[in-house]
Amino acid sequence: MIRKLVLPSIFIFLAYGFWISSDFKEIAAGVAIFLFGMLALEEGFKAFTGGLLEKILQRTTDKLWKSLSFGVISTTVMQSSSLVSVITISFLSAGLISLAAGVGIIFGANLGTTTGAWLVAGLGLKVKISTYAMPMLVFGIILVFQKSKELKGIGYVLAGLGFLFLGIHHMKEGFEAFKDTIDLTAYAVDGYTGVFLFTLIGLAATVVMQSSHATLVLIITALSAQQITYENALALAIGANVGTTITAVIGSLSANIQGKRLAGAHLIFNAITGLIAIVFIYQLTHLVDTTSAFLGIDDDNYTLKLAVFHTIFNAIGVIVMLPFISQLVDFLQQYLKAEAASGPSKPRYLNKAASELPDTAIAAVRQETLHLYDNAAKIIAGGLSLHLKDIHSEMPLDEIIHRSRKVLPTDIDRLYQDSVKGLYADIVDYISLAQGEMSPEQTEELFLLRAAGRDIVEAIKDTKHLQKNLSTYINADNPYIQHEYDNLRKRLASVLRTLHEVRNHGHNSAIILSLDSLKIDMKEHDQSLNNSLNTLIRNKQLNPAMSVSLMNDSSYAYDVTRNLVQMGEVLFSRAELQLKEAERSLSLDDDEVNAMVEQHKDKPL
Amino acid sequence: MNIKKLMRRAEEYLSSDERKRKEKRRYLKQVVRKLRQHEKALKQTLEECSDRDQCRQLKREIVLAHSQRKKGVTQLKALKKKK
Repeated sequence: MIRKLVLPSIFIFLAYGFWISSDFKEIAAGVAIFLFGMLALEEGFKAFTGGLLEKILQRTTDKLWKSLSFGVISTTVMQSSSLVSVITISFLSAGLISLAAGVGIIFGANLGTTTGAWLVAGLGLKVKISTYAMPMLVFGIILVFQKSKELKGIGYVLAGLGFLFLGIHHMKEGFEAFKDTIDLTAYAVDGYTGVFLFTLIGLAATVVMQSSHATLVLIITALSAQQITYENALALAIGANVGTTITAVIGSLSANIQGKRLAGAHLIFNAITGLIAIVFIYQLTHLVDTTSAFLGIDDDNYTLKLAVFHTIFNAIGVIVMLPFISQLVDFLQQYLKAEAASGPSKPRYLNKAASELPDTAIAAVRQETLHLYDNAAKIIAGGLSLHLKDIHSEMPLDEIIHRSRKVLPTDIDRLYQDSVKGLYADIVDYISLAQGEMSPEQTEELFLLRAAGRDIVEAIKDTKHLQKNLSTYINADNPYIQHEYDNLRKRLASVLRTLHEVRNHGHNSAIILSLDSLKIDMKEHDQSLNNSLNTLIRNKQLNPAMSVSLMNDSSYAYDVTRNLVQMGEVLFSRAELQLKEAERSLSLDDDEVNAMVEQHKDKPL
Repeated sequence: MNIKKLMRRAEEYLSSDERKRKEKRRYLKQVVRKLRQHEKALKQTLEECSDRDQCRQLKREIVLAHSQRKKGVTQLKALKKKK
């Protein structure tokens, strides 16, 4: 009910304001233009996230200081801590970065956002920035109409900056004119009551505008026109800092548990920083005066002093919270637990937050397909009457096969229904929804990932066909058929082991391509089996029924291998899209595999 | 740099086909380089190998890496010719 009333109330309040004061209209229009500029800027930066951001993030988040610097720099460049936090949440949801790295980025973003205050207070108010806004808008909009994704991105960034500057100009003009008619300082409140009241106003304004940057610019322009007192401006800035977390919280609603934890970290950090600032507001004011004097800022230059305050209190927040980062991560992991329903068949990475950017959507699909493979590998190993953990161990495969004589009761149909089918359906569904604004390369990658999922499903189905005879013959009285089926098990176990090893070397293209050797192995085995079958039948060591079963199952085993290798080449490579494409173009097709097998036959190694 | 050269460079940059060809060549070169290193490492392991089965496997992997590299070199040449 209250929710429904909020928007009409804001509209009525604004309409009334516009009716009684044209200056208020100019200020509000300034805020609107500024926010529109932020939207354009975000759109522009999203155009550049195609692979570049992912690469930077992967390289810069392995250490705390690196993720902290990433937060500072990216927020300084993009001038939006909200955008950085939303991107970080989507990266975390897609499993690309750890929670600790995400928290580091958020801490850094809080420091980076302070540069905005410096830019506006130091440059925006002194120079007539609207002069720069006009050409930026013209050039920006021309570029926005270009076909090239990069030029379009540059266009959005330019237009965004143009609108930001124009918005600041209108806010400034509005407040300048406003002070001739109404003196807002008459409503100033002193002491702690004022601090709390204005903190709440700052918080509410930021929640409504969903941008602490816009609130801060509004505060600075109002302060420069002497429409608010310096003390109240400080409190407003504290409120804006706490209010900005609302964007992250909203962004995390559609994220998985990791994303929610990060939003929690953001909220805790900003709330504690705000609390410290409120409690020590007078000591901080004194510190700001001393620092400003040291930096050569005039005593009455309140706008720059506000920028100093904003930087100091965020820096104090980082200094206070940084030593407790691991405790914070532990706390969040303990209190924000993953839902109990997330069993083996429930998607872990497919969420709306990860679909915000094409890169994170692809990463989420890749992680989920890996999850699908993990479930499938257990089923395939069970179908061979082997334990996956034995296959992944360093024990010789001959020994594993020799020891595993007992048929493991593996209901492949039921396991497939429980832990594969639903998950694969979710992946397919997510891919079809995620294909919005993707480049042809990114769409191709999603298509290949979907095909990798299908290969996994096919491999399970082939294992099911193979399982029936295999369960009968691994304990058969006939030693020859037992030996042949053990051979099949060993070969498939070797495929699973190699895939497990290659998975950990996804960054090396040559290792990914070495998976082709499995196809050659299996093809050779299939051919040599056909040759030895004749001898076995002729010598009455196998009956015709046995030999037909063996021939069929060898063919199933070859299909399992081919499907799994195809899947591995797509799924395990962690290279960027163009490099993956180059890898795939060098992988051997069926004809080339046959040619190599023939070559080996003529010239044995 | 004279104007003609500058114009050609700008045209090349803005032409997406040309850019894609160059990008493809660059990434293909990277994979071929990795394959060469891998082949070299495998040959070194083979020299120290004493186990018969392992040697056989290593030889097979060397042949595979070599043919994949050869395929890459052929593709690189084809991409160069298109210029």
